Amino acid sequence: MYASSRERITGLVILAFSVLWIVAVWQTIPAGTPGTVGPRAFPLVLGGALALMACILIGRTFRPVQHSADSDMNSDENAGPAADGYVNLWMVAALFITVVVYGFAMEKIGFVLSTLLVVPAVMILILRIRSWQRIVGMAVGLAFGCWLVFGKILGAYIPPGIWISLF
Amino acid sequence: METLNVALGLITSPNALLAVVVGTFIGLVFGSIPGLTFTVALALVLPITFALDATPAIALLLSTYIGGMTGGSVSAILLGIPGTPSAAATVIDGYQMTRRGQASLALGTAVIVSTFGGLISLLVMILSIEFVAKMALRFGPAEIFALVLFGLSTICGLSGKSLLRGMIAGLIGLMIMTIGLDEIDGVQRLTFGTITLQQGVNLLVAMIALFAVPHIIQAFVTYYMGREMPVRAADVNVELPRWQDLKSNFWLAIRCALMGTGIGAIPGTGGPIAAFLAYAHARKTAKGKPPVGKGALAGVVAPETANNAVTGGTMIPLLALGIPGDPATAIVLSGLLIHGLVPGPMLFIEHPDTISAVYFIVILAYIAVLLLQLLGIRFFVQMLRVPAHLLAVGITVMCCFGAFAVRNSVFDVYTMGVLGVLAYTLMRARIPLTPIILGLVLGPTLEREFRTALILSEGDPMIFVSSVPAVIFLTLAALVFAMPAWRMLRKSKSLEVAKNAQVQPRKNS
Repeated sequence: MYASSRERITGLVILAFSVLWIVAVWQTIPAGTPGTVGPRAFPLVLGGALALMACILIGRTFRPVQHSADSDMNSDENAGPAADGYVNLWMVAALFITVVVYGFAMEKIGFVLSTLLVVPAVMILILRIRSWQRIVGMAVGLAFGCWLVFGKILGAYIPPGIWISLF
Repeated sequence: METLNVALGLITSPNALLAVVVGTFIGLVFGSIPGLTFTVALALVLPITFALDATPAIALLLSTYIGGMTGGSVSAILLGIPGTPSAAATVIDGYQMTRRGQASLALGTAVIVSTFGGLISLLVMILSIEFVAKMALRFGPAEIFALVLFGLSTICGLSGKSLLRGMIAGLIGLMIMTIGLDEIDGVQRLTFGTITLQQGVNLLVAMIALFAVPHIIQAFVTYYMGREMPVRAADVNVELPRWQDLKSNFWLAIRCALMGTGIGAIPGTGGPIAAFLAYAHARKTAKGKPPVGKGALAGVVAPETANNAVTGGTMIPLLALGIPGDPATAIVLSGLLIHGLVPGPMLFIEHPDTISAVYFIVILAYIAVLLLQLLGIRFFVQMLRVPAHLLAVGITVMCCFGAFAVRNSVFDVYTMGVLGVLAYTLMRARIPLTPIILGLVLGPTLEREFRTALILSEGDPMIFVSSVPAVIFLTLAALVFAMPAWRMLRKSKSLEVAKNAQVQPRKNS
């Protein structure tokens, strides 16, 4: 019996990342004064160590699995259900886009307005919630609740917005 | 005696008492919400102290610090997202307890042991401030490097079943923290010429990304697939730990309190290191079912006792030497300086009443924390009744706002998004996230102290073995790294032997 191909892919991705890291570090960070541990040393060593770990991870996928000693290969500690593949991809992409759009909107039109727009968008487009009471309640509650508690009562800085600044 | 009376008079004034209550409440609120943290709370209350007298000002700052340190456990336990870096270790067992319907027990225990740890550290501080300050003063870069390396070795205990994946995760965390300006030479590292990347990756933003974003994605996926389980109100009750539970974890709490105090006394270390070391200690020593790592009470007791014990420990170099141990105590130091109180040996001579007032403030703050949390647990637990997907929407808003609030920078929001996606991908690839946090927390200190030590020794690596504390920490770190690997090797060999034994009889028959 052999370990899953997912393990091999994980190892290859990590190896590729560590090689890119090493190249980027070597090309962009100066070595520093000769004879001293300069700014390049740590990132380089870490990249090398990660590449080594990735090679070990890949190497282990080419030997038969012994259930007890290699139990980590079969560990389901952090794995989710395999059937959620496309749903996971969609949610990752959706949340990433949400965070980027929200951050951009927060800077341009302020926290309150951006929250009033983004929360309904998330609930309707991602979660497919159709109850308008929940959508309005969540949007208004979060926007004005945060504005009141953090902005007015606790005095935290609430981004006002560059293009539109209503609150 | 007269000093104590004067101090008691100062701290029992209405302004000082109000400052303790308000500061504790603000600290608890900010500490509970991922991304806001007590450092932000301290930065916000600092201007308020300008208008106050010295004692209420110190009371407000210290209470906010203490409230915030304790508050981090609330979201760590209820939501699986640490409110502060110090509460990261509490997530491991605390959140599992919540999923088993024991949220109230976990919270109640965290409150009580936090208070216990804080008061023990205060007692140790009072008894040993001068002696411990001298010890801490002797810890140079080599010793701190060795201690931090030992702290990193706890990755072995936090890696679950796979040491290799845990080390990969730890390395990723260390690598992320090298991005930005080099602390020693001021050189740009992997910033690709952009000003925004010069800021580097903020630790708090990374914490939110690693804990909150995968949680949000998972909550959305679970809801989308129709697998969301409603939380029954009857499952959630107010529950303080039984006397038996406290008794069985008493000596663990004492050891972790002393550990936290000692680590807090060393500048540059602090809550997260204390919490993880205490957690690793509990994992090795605590007995009973379930084991630590699977939702055990000891897994909450250890880190919460230790991280709150740090508060007393950090006061030692702060008051005795004027050295802040972390950003939070740096703000407290600013508050002292604003009111003409210069920490150092002279503070003990010129303002002994202030030192005594600090002791009373810490006691009152922990009493306030205990009461506010015990009275507020019913409210905190109600958060569980909110459907997980709606809570996730709220968390998305809070996290984006929290990430922005750290440095008033939208770049941090984008960073949170990128790291969050990375975290979820790693989680799906069965790479544990907890060691990443350790790498993030300890990376800057590890590199800085290593390079500083070599600068001081003019490149001679023998500096790392030239002092007893450094040798002890390095030896312990080597043992902790080597033991799991050796155990795995032994298991492999014994399996090989067993396999051969099975094959042999078949050949003979």
